[in-house]
Amino acid sequence: MPDPATEPSYYGKKRWVFFVLVFVFLICAWALGLTPRGLIPSDVNQWDRTARFFQAALHPALDYEDVNVPEDAEPILVKGLKGILLTLKFAFGAMSLAVPTALLLGFFGSSAWWPEPCGKRSKALLRVVYAACRFLMSFLRSIHELIWALLFLSAMGVSPLAGMVALALPFSGTLGKVFSELIDEEARDAAEALKAIGHGPVQTFLVGILPRAMPNLITYSFYRFECALRSSAVLGFVGIETIGLYIQLSNEEFYYREVWTYLYLLIAMIVIVDRWGAMIRRHLQTKEGGCI
Amino acid sequence: MTNTARATRIEELARQRPRDWFLRISALVVGIAICWAWVTSHPLLGRLSASRRWENLQRFSEGLIPSPVRKSGDWIDAIPWAWELLTDGGFVALVTTVGIATAAIILSGAVVLPVLAMASRRLSRVDPFGLRTGKVGGSLGLGWKILGPIVRFGFVLSRSVPEYLIAFLLLSLLGLQVWPLVLALAIHNFGILGRLWGEVIENTDDDSATHLYGSGLSRTSVYATSILPRSLNRFLIYFFYRWETCIKDATVLGMLGLLTLGKLIMLSKGFFWDRMLFYVLLGSCFILVMDLSSTWLRKRLR
Repeated sequence: MPDPATEPSYYGKKRWVFFVLVFVFLICAWALGLTPRGLIPSDVNQWDRTARFFQAALHPALDYEDVNVPEDAEPILVKGLKGILLTLKFAFGAMSLAVPTALLLGFFGSSAWWPEPCGKRSKALLRVVYAACRFLMSFLRSIHELIWALLFLSAMGVSPLAGMVALALPFSGTLGKVFSELIDEEARDAAEALKAIGHGPVQTFLVGILPRAMPNLITYSFYRFECALRSSAVLGFVGIETIGLYIQLSNEEFYYREVWTYLYLLIAMIVIVDRWGAMIRRHLQTKEGGCI
Repeated sequence: MTNTARATRIEELARQRPRDWFLRISALVVGIAICWAWVTSHPLLGRLSASRRWENLQRFSEGLIPSPVRKSGDWIDAIPWAWELLTDGGFVALVTTVGIATAAIILSGAVVLPVLAMASRRLSRVDPFGLRTGKVGGSLGLGWKILGPIVRFGFVLSRSVPEYLIAFLLLSLLGLQVWPLVLALAIHNFGILGRLWGEVIENTDDDSATHLYGSGLSRTSVYATSILPRSLNRFLIYFFYRWETCIKDATVLGMLGLLTLGKLIMLSKGFFWDRMLFYVLLGSCFILVMDLSSTWLRKRLR
């Protein structure tokens, strides 16, 4: 343990982190008007609704609560599963666009493949490409996928492609950034050896660097796939048919038991994908990559 | 080595390379799913006819040009227009967004910190760090055995529901106020911080913690005096990363009807595309600045 006498600032600094955070929280709470009273439903109506909502958690609907649903409509579980499939579909479609784009962006946004003895002019060109790619990635991910979706739906009308592209854009920004960082962090010894026997920069990258970074890239892509599933569910709120749309519609009619049915299906799907990801991670022997 | 010998050797090596059936099947499933996603998304461009779509696109892109510029054709006129939008709601919305995100992430951090000790694979068990301190059996032993998995599953559950959905549901229960947004972000980030911070404390080497526990400190003290201070820097890295994400998410949560940028974006949608674009870019610029400063901060903390 470090001796406090020799490292006087050591303890003080860490303690201050907490004080400052509590202080910042109080300021925010004051400015936003967050009072404990706001957490308690304000009238009988709201109490009733809240109670009903949480009671419904114990009895998810196995049949429609809406009496006007036609007799021959598909059962709610089938509809829910269809919603889940649609959610999966958008996530898969988006990721199949985002990963190749991100690989491209990540490649140009990384310095690992730059030829070592390099003319001044080509170095300047590489720098420009590098900076442009980095900026593009930052810009893509600085706009939330829902807003991208809003923009695309406004420009192109409601269509599956618009939803997928809207998801894919910010995701390729994030993936590309992390890809380039993972690639840059990978050990370069194999690449050095390949370079020494006369391989070109791109060959070295494809043979010496990329395969080594691959397990990490796959792990991270899979983690982002999980995020894409959540985002895809939320796309339902801007009018694309996923499970989010069903939840929104049922909630607006106060059919809380239906809401819970859909919620449970969504949670089950995400938990299953989470476990699948954990197994893939174990088989690839990569650590859980942080999301930075 | 002759060419044939080399060829057989390469073949032999290829045969010996590690093969993992689980990964192969996973890859196959993903491949099929991607094909299915594209093949079944029909019609890919929606049901509108091509000419209608083109008209829409034209109207939309014309609408994106700031209205004074559309009238006068001079981009100088966009400056007072932008200033007015910024002072008339834009700035307040930006500050509210940041406030909501900050309150939410601090709240969830404060809840995760004590819970995290219960999720630790090495601390939250009958024999922390493999040090047995006497006979513990029966229900207490069982309790220690299931505490960690339960807490970790709690993390999985709370991060599995998207924050937008939680906010939507809570808004319908608690009414139109700021709490639902803060709570939604806090609940979702509770799970994510739990996972990220959990990784940090699993990966920190624990010799000093083992030492302290062995010399008689309780689990709580060991956590508070050894594990926590040692991991704090990396905790902060993740904390700021999540804060940044929270700001982005809080912007969008406003689309549910509260005064963050999202609300302004929703209100101007359909009629004032130019204003909508302005608010989108305002949020985007802010996040770009945050992104740069957090990259800088992260480098310093590492």
